[in-house]
Amino acid sequence: MFNRETWIEIAHTVTANPLRTALTGLSVGLGIFILVVMQGLGFGLQNGVEQDFADEAKNTIWVRTGTTTLAYRGRQPNRYIELRDEDEERVTEQVVETPAASGRLSMWGSTVQYKNEQGNYPLMGVEPDFAELDLIPLQGGRWLHQDDVEKEAKVCVIGENVINELFKQRSPIGQYIILRGITFRVVGHFTKNGRWGNSMVYIPMTTMQRLFQGNDAIGSMVLSTGDRDLAGSTDMVDAIDGDLRLRHAVHPEDQRAVRVRDNQEEYAMFDRIFKGIRLFIWVIGGLTLLAGAIGVANIMAIVVKERTVEIGVRKALGATSGSILSLIVIEAICLTLISGALGLIAGVATLNYAAPYAQHDYFTNPEVNLRVTVTALIVLVLAGAFSGLVPALRAVRIRPIEALRYE
Amino acid sequence: MLALRGIEKSYPLAVGSLPVLKGIDLNITQGEMVAIMGSSGSGKSTLLNVLGLLDGFDSGGYDLDGVDMSGLSEKQAARYRSQFLGFVFQSFNLISFKTALENVALPLFYQKVPRRERQRRALEMLGKMGMDDRADHLPSELSGGQKQRVAIARALITSPRVILADEPTGALDSTTSSEVMSVLREVNASGITVIIVTHEADIAAKCDRTIRLHDGVIIEDGRSGEVVEPTANGAGSSD
Ligand SMILES: Nc1ncnc2c1ncn2[C@@H]1O[C@H](COP(=O)(O)OP(=O)(O)OP(=O)(O)O)[C@@H](O)[C@H]1O
Ligand SMILES: [Mg+2]
Repeated sequence: MFNRETWIEIAHTVTANPLRTALTGLSVGLGIFILVVMQGLGFGLQNGVEQDFADEAKNTIWVRTGTTTLAYRGRQPNRYIELRDEDEERVTEQVVETPAASGRLSMWGSTVQYKNEQGNYPLMGVEPDFAELDLIPLQGGRWLHQDDVEKEAKVCVIGENVINELFKQRSPIGQYIILRGITFRVVGHFTKNGRWGNSMVYIPMTTMQRLFQGNDAIGSMVLSTGDRDLAGSTDMVDAIDGDLRLRHAVHPEDQRAVRVRDNQEEYAMFDRIFKGIRLFIWVIGGLTLLAGAIGVANIMAIVVKERTVEIGVRKALGATSGSILSLIVIEAICLTLISGALGLIAGVATLNYAAPYAQHDYFTNPEVNLRVTVTALIVLVLAGAFSGLVPALRAVRIRPIEALRYE
Repeated sequence: MLALRGIEKSYPLAVGSLPVLKGIDLNITQGEMVAIMGSSGSGKSTLLNVLGLLDGFDSGGYDLDGVDMSGLSEKQAARYRSQFLGFVFQSFNLISFKTALENVALPLFYQKVPRRERQRRALEMLGKMGMDDRADHLPSELSGGQKQRVAIARALITSPRVILADEPTGALDSTTSSEVMSVLREVNASGITVIIVTHEADIAAKCDRTIRLHDGVIIEDGRSGEVVEPTANGAGSSD
């Protein structure tokens, strides 16, 4: 099938009318270009969001509180709802069953000193379970123990930025630093992605409450949903939400006072959104490509018309319908493949050059993956075959006598 | 070799149909060289197309090499064509982007002859036509007579038993015409039946036998030169 003759024929079709070939090629190339670039952007968006999610375990529920916005049971709005030790105890022991839970009491912009260096970092009071809930990758030393919490130990675990800025490459383990005027011993350090991740200073919840808070507030609360599926975690959310609203007399419709967010559900929602975006991209790219394929079909139809006599002569000389059919189809596939490949290369190049300039929290690595490339190529060949088929069937119907009749 | 019995054919028109062949009886034996003459529109090309299995017919019978050719499928017709018949066209119909050699070799390509073998045989055939020095030329680089020689070489490459030529000299001047005719005579001398549609009396005179068509029927059939120039209808000379 792919012998010298075939290539001569294709070269002839392509060069017979270079402008026409170029324009057709452009439409196919553009179709693939758009498809590839949009796929890349879609992946970039997905990567960004996925990385954001990667900062926290997916099977977690985050409970946050705020001021009430609605009056309820004789209470005025604008009341601050504060989570306390008793809330965490009740929720984890009576309301739901969870393998891991922790409060998270934060003090942003806390002054941290080490010898002559100092800086401002977010200080977080947490419980031992927090490491697995927030996926904190420990780089050295140890994480906070239950023992630290019980003894209200003055120990801390610090992020990479703190080390770089205060310790200047020196190992921080065992060193003493001053947090908000009180001396703590560094027991571990970690490296984490995300905007704030590397700047955090974690200390035991009890220490935080005693030294800096002055009461038993726990800030917000995070719980693991274990191996529950989406329905299971939603039940859990409802239970926690209901309990907190009941205890703190919060209107069921109040959106700000109690906010229970399910990572799993959010992830599922993003996943649905991305499926939609991907489908949308395929449809747009596919339609553009279809327009290109119709262009190729058109050029092949013209080629067939221009070569009616030639095809008739070939048949008089013994060409079978199959050989005519494959000739036209292969020409069409080659046309689409060559121009599509150019579009593909242009698309990949664009993404590669643009990627470094387009980094954002919700947009990372707008990559062209192998699967998209291969799929695009398969789609191209199919489009080419499709675009060649209609004119080819017309060519097959030409009877050899047309050649003799033609003047 | 070729036997037609009462062949009738009409072309369908928008309204009704146009009868073109109205009962043709014709026997052509192996090795004959036959001219078909007649006025324009008398049905010569139609007859040749029927003989060449390029077109069907409505009624009558056609035996090629003793085999009944009525009701052939397109595919069967193509097989008999490539097995028995070679075609030469008035407008040469060489493929413009292929060299003389590639044009001659094309029918062998469709017979799945290997490339080297195709080229060897095509070159040999071009040599017989005195055209081997033009093997690598494109048709646009050849004169009319040279093109027709290439076309004849292409018709002969598959060793057909019959060559069908529709006005092979129609586009050539008289000197070139007689050159092409002597080529066709040589072809005929090798035992191949040659059937030529022509308007020109001197071309017909170079054949052994002349058949004259008028309005879809054979009105004369005899040895070339013995066929009398018709006085009525003004056929033969005017077109
Ligand atoms: N495909 C067709 N459809 C309808 N009518 C046709 C068709 N081909 C030929 N005819 C008609 O049939 C008649 C015979 O045509 P044909 O081509 O056989 O004539 P001819 O003898 O070869 O003429 P010329 O010397 O001009 O080539 C003509 O009247 C022509 O108009
Ligand atoms: Mg004619």
